[in-house]
Amino acid sequence: MWRDQDLNIGPLSVFESQPQRPAVLSSRLCIWTVLIKQVGMEDHFPFGKAPFIILVLTLVSGGWLLVNPVEKKESTLQFWTFARTHAMAYKQAVPSFEKKHPGVTVDVQLVHGTAVTSRLRAAFWADLDVPDLVEVEIGSAGTFFRGPHEEIGFVDLTPLLEKTGLIDRIVKSRFAPYTSKGRIYGLPHDVHPVMLAYRRDLFEKHGIDVSELTTWDKFVEAGRKVTALGERYMIQLSDASAAYMETFLFQRGGGYFDQDGKLIIDNEIAIETVKWYIPLVAGPKRISSDPGWGQPFAQAFEDGYILSAICPDWRSKSIEKDIARLSGKMALMKLPAFEPGGRRTSTWGGTMVGITKHCKDKELAFKLARHLYLDTEELAKNFREINILPPLKDAWQHEAFNEPREYWSGQPLGKLYTELAPSVPAQYTHPYIQLAKSKLGGVVSTCAAYYRRNGDEGFDAFVRRRLKEAAREIRKFSNRNPF
Amino acid sequence: MFRSSKLYRFQYRYAPYVFVSPFIITFLVFGLYPLVKSLVLSTYITNGPKSRIFVGLDNFRFMITDPDFRKAAWNTSVFAFFSVFLQLPLSLGLALLLNRKLLKARNVFRFTFFSPHLVGQVFVGVLFALIFAPRFGLLNIALHALAKFPNDTRWLQTPSLIMPALVVTSLWMYVGFNMIYFLAALQAVDQELYEAATVDGANAFQQFLHVTLPGIRPVAVFVVVLSTIGSFQLFELPYLMLGNGPGPDNAGLTVVMYLYQTGFDSGDLGYASVVGWSLALGVLLLSIAQMRLTGTWKKED
Repeated sequence: MWRDQDLNIGPLSVFESQPQRPAVLSSRLCIWTVLIKQVGMEDHFPFGKAPFIILVLTLVSGGWLLVNPVEKKESTLQFWTFARTHAMAYKQAVPSFEKKHPGVTVDVQLVHGTAVTSRLRAAFWADLDVPDLVEVEIGSAGTFFRGPHEEIGFVDLTPLLEKTGLIDRIVKSRFAPYTSKGRIYGLPHDVHPVMLAYRRDLFEKHGIDVSELTTWDKFVEAGRKVTALGERYMIQLSDASAAYMETFLFQRGGGYFDQDGKLIIDNEIAIETVKWYIPLVAGPKRISSDPGWGQPFAQAFEDGYILSAICPDWRSKSIEKDIARLSGKMALMKLPAFEPGGRRTSTWGGTMVGITKHCKDKELAFKLARHLYLDTEELAKNFREINILPPLKDAWQHEAFNEPREYWSGQPLGKLYTELAPSVPAQYTHPYIQLAKSKLGGVVSTCAAYYRRNGDEGFDAFVRRRLKEAAREIRKFSNRNPF
Repeated sequence: MFRSSKLYRFQYRYAPYVFVSPFIITFLVFGLYPLVKSLVLSTYITNGPKSRIFVGLDNFRFMITDPDFRKAAWNTSVFAFFSVFLQLPLSLGLALLLNRKLLKARNVFRFTFFSPHLVGQVFVGVLFALIFAPRFGLLNIALHALAKFPNDTRWLQTPSLIMPALVVTSLWMYVGFNMIYFLAALQAVDQELYEAATVDGANAFQQFLHVTLPGIRPVAVFVVVLSTIGSFQLFELPYLMLGNGPGPDNAGLTVVMYLYQTGFDSGDLGYASVVGWSLALGVLLLSIAQMRLTGTWKKED
């Protein structure tokens, strides 16, 4: 039993040491004071009113949470996606799947992209609960394939794809980013061909005829005429990252790694691409600027600060939504080629869905993946909503892919992208893909700084040296990895 | 009778252990065990916690030649240097101003300068990413209006401008916070010393040098050490301001960010442990050096 006199420190209760105050003195504490008096706590709680109130609040809120726990959603399959547009489309498609499979429930959860990657990776490592199906962004997919096959958290889909014949019905190049050591771990969600979105009204005003811009040389020439530094730029490109430059690298048949996992960022294609790209983003003859993303990008397009932008299919929807006021003033054109008759597209971005090894009913999970990714009617509905071209070639015959779009000056957006889909280049993945992207970004940034200072003098040697250095650093990490 | 009971004696003997047990258990589980574990891990290359291969001291050897680690260490040191040497004089200057009795609305100023610290690094990171934005950011608009500076300067996309942007952001956040420490220290300096110095003919600067500075020395050392340690732990600000990464050419890469990248993005917990230990040892040595230089361990007269 605890008694004040045992501790010999005098009266502890604040009520004992203070004169009685009128009840109206503190109206907010009044009710609590009455409560304390009512329950007789004044004599038994020695630390004062405030701690008592905190204690009561803690007990009440804790008790409330105890009797009203957050309901755990019970579902047959749990599906994580990082893209809001995907989540919205899947939530619409799920009821028809549940109808086809009575008793089955699907819980589609929207999780932030960074959280998907970091939480999923940590959960795989620690054998914690993971969802049955997860969508992973192309840039981070490779990082899940580090280590021996037994330790990769995703199911090898190769046998299922071969058994169902899907392997031949899907654009082959789209399996590349999700393939490691000959095994396919993800079903591709998209093709992501790349076009150029441009301000049709301003191009016309400046006398630019897009039908003549068949090669990059012609595009750059037109760009130099129309660009006014600080006021107007022909295209949005960045001198600080590899995000845009890699599009050109892919278009020319280059990349970060080849299909055997060999690093190729220091090959001749990469050297030539960097040498071609940097004068477009740095120096007095540049034709580009990078206003960034979101609202600054939308405002730059609307103001005519930039006249065109690299536009994969997914970005066409962002532009439609973010710059709605340009409806009818925008149009799409094929990428100019690097040489006459060359490839007129590239690729940017991508998503796969993987089935985790933790999933109890993998057959059912694969059925759901097929329903969301490969059901023609669902794909047509999705395309109208999000403009993303699915990799299933059969689906492109649907009328949804032929409809003219008012926003894009009446152009049939689907048809434009599907025409380019077969020539979309492959981009191969690797556990060190993110490191390679970061290093290439560093090369772009330092080469741009060099070009600003020195122009063409010694530029070739500098580009070669920086690319070799970057490749050496990546190999150093990659060669260290024994898994 | 109560005091002689068995239960009382039992309680008397074991109560202290019960009281300290929450800390001891927490420290053992979340402090000591991870420390020992990370020391062991530093001798392995790992792919997550499941697969690992013993490499002895190879991780340490690799770190010394790793250009990314060197870049991270350099960036962090530059940030710490400028943060400490700009932050502290500014904090002290503000504290001296706010300590003047003639100043009106002192509490308003005190709250105003301190308030950035209340909002947290995430908020500050997002806010300053907008302030530094090209064309529409407050800084570019102001510089353009005042000095015809190009309004599309990309502070957070240009490697040479990233560190100044980070230092300015941290100044906004921490100058007011450190000012509070200095203000408390200034108010504790014995006023009689100033009176005696005035009688002896000391001017304001001499009073500051010979009365104020020695008077606030313990707090100043504490603030210097705390700021240095805080600066070396930099992570959230660059991570948020540079779009979840180190920025172009790793210009915003810090040691803690590199630790996070190697441990949680690449899965090499062994190498991440080595990076973590090097940071801890570096900060420890620096703190010892600071305390020796400032005479913290000398006996007071």
